[in-house]
Amino acid sequence: MSSLINALKRLHITVAPQVRVFSSVSSTPAGGDAVAVSREHWQFPPQYTKPREVWIENLDTIEEKKLGLMELHPSVYAASPRIDIIHNNVTWQKKYRWVSWAHTKTRAEVRGGGRKPWPQKGQGRARHGSIRSPLWRGGGVAHGPRSGTPHFYMLPFHLRLLGLTSTLSAKLAQDDLHIVKDLHLPTDEPGYLEQLIESRNWGPSVLIVDVDDIVPRNITAATEGLAHVNVMPVYGLNVYSMLKHSGLVLTRAAAAALERRLLRHLHAPTLHQQQAFKLDQV
Amino acid sequence: MEWITSSILRTLWKPTVTAVRTRYHADKTRLVRRYGYEEKIWSGGLLPRSQGRALPLPEYRPVNPWTERRALFGQNDYIDILGPGNIHPVKTLYNVPSWIRGVSGKEYHILLRKQKMWSKTATPVVRPTKWKEIEKRLGYLYRKLNRKTKTGQSPD
Repeated sequence: MSSLINALKRLHITVAPQVRVFSSVSSTPAGGDAVAVSREHWQFPPQYTKPREVWIENLDTIEEKKLGLMELHPSVYAASPRIDIIHNNVTWQKKYRWVSWAHTKTRAEVRGGGRKPWPQKGQGRARHGSIRSPLWRGGGVAHGPRSGTPHFYMLPFHLRLLGLTSTLSAKLAQDDLHIVKDLHLPTDEPGYLEQLIESRNWGPSVLIVDVDDIVPRNITAATEGLAHVNVMPVYGLNVYSMLKHSGLVLTRAAAAALERRLLRHLHAPTLHQQQAFKLDQV
Repeated sequence: MEWITSSILRTLWKPTVTAVRTRYHADKTRLVRRYGYEEKIWSGGLLPRSQGRALPLPEYRPVNPWTERRALFGQNDYIDILGPGNIHPVKTLYNVPSWIRGVSGKEYHILLRKQKMWSKTATPVVRPTKWKEIEKRLGYLYRKLNRKTKTGQSPD
């Protein structure tokens, strides 16, 4: 029954007039023939919102060629860009790994100071019991920082999930998210990649995301010398890096893999992930 | 005899004495308080100076925001969502020592955990003073938290 409904919905989507807004009219699709539009068949198709369409670009020439259109799921790439949640995520990323190693010695730990410096009465001087008292120069520190102060906490699972979808959506809405077919470059020259980024206005810094953690040799060699162009596998993607780099370039497979992972978590029961963090259980 | 002559002389002849001023008010300097004390706090202007001359400003060295550590900060923080699902981001914090990785708590709890985990290592033998300080601090914090702090208040 549900499959029938899904089929009907898909039918409706295909029948409905598709409004396509071309971001740049200047460049024409490669080959001049019809654009290959790949319709996605998601496990959880969007119910009330239309899928977003993006151009699939190439990396093998400097000038841009549009190789096709790809549909992106609106729950992942067109979610409401909650900047408060994005901020929560960035704060969490900074804090959960932060351990402050500032340290001061107390009066008990500073060496010496066992003897009473002068008798209690009769000298006309203030009474003191130890030369390592916090009042003394060279004495211990009262209420000072103690080494190993963690700032660890885990952000709730769904906030982290929403952080990813919000940031991806913000990137797409601001025209900073680009899809490429694959990461095959003709040369391993860094200059080629720099020119390509410059001509396509991808931003000074670019984060390239592929589905695997092994990418073609040419792109690793080209990004080796460019500190502001970084390559990351899908499982390494995070909110902080997406915000640090101005441009986000996903391969087609990476975009689909991201979508699959996030959609699964958005629709699956997550009671296990929502439980309170216990260190001995991770 | 002498006493009589001097007393007679004193009664008969009285010389007029006029005070001779050797130190006039105009010659007096102002009272210098705390003479010989050297003021340690600099009050000679806005810039740091040495012998009345401004020191050169330190050379501006901008931080490179794209070192490898900064460029890839936060990688794998969502590996439990985007990865295969069998690894937690806390497990990827390799540069944090294991006894404090993923731990939250006040000083007492951290120290207790540190002592528990370090007791199995060579630390008690190799660093006896450090170990003694840990034990001493734990005893102090235990007494403070359990005997001198009201229940429900935030401890150290």
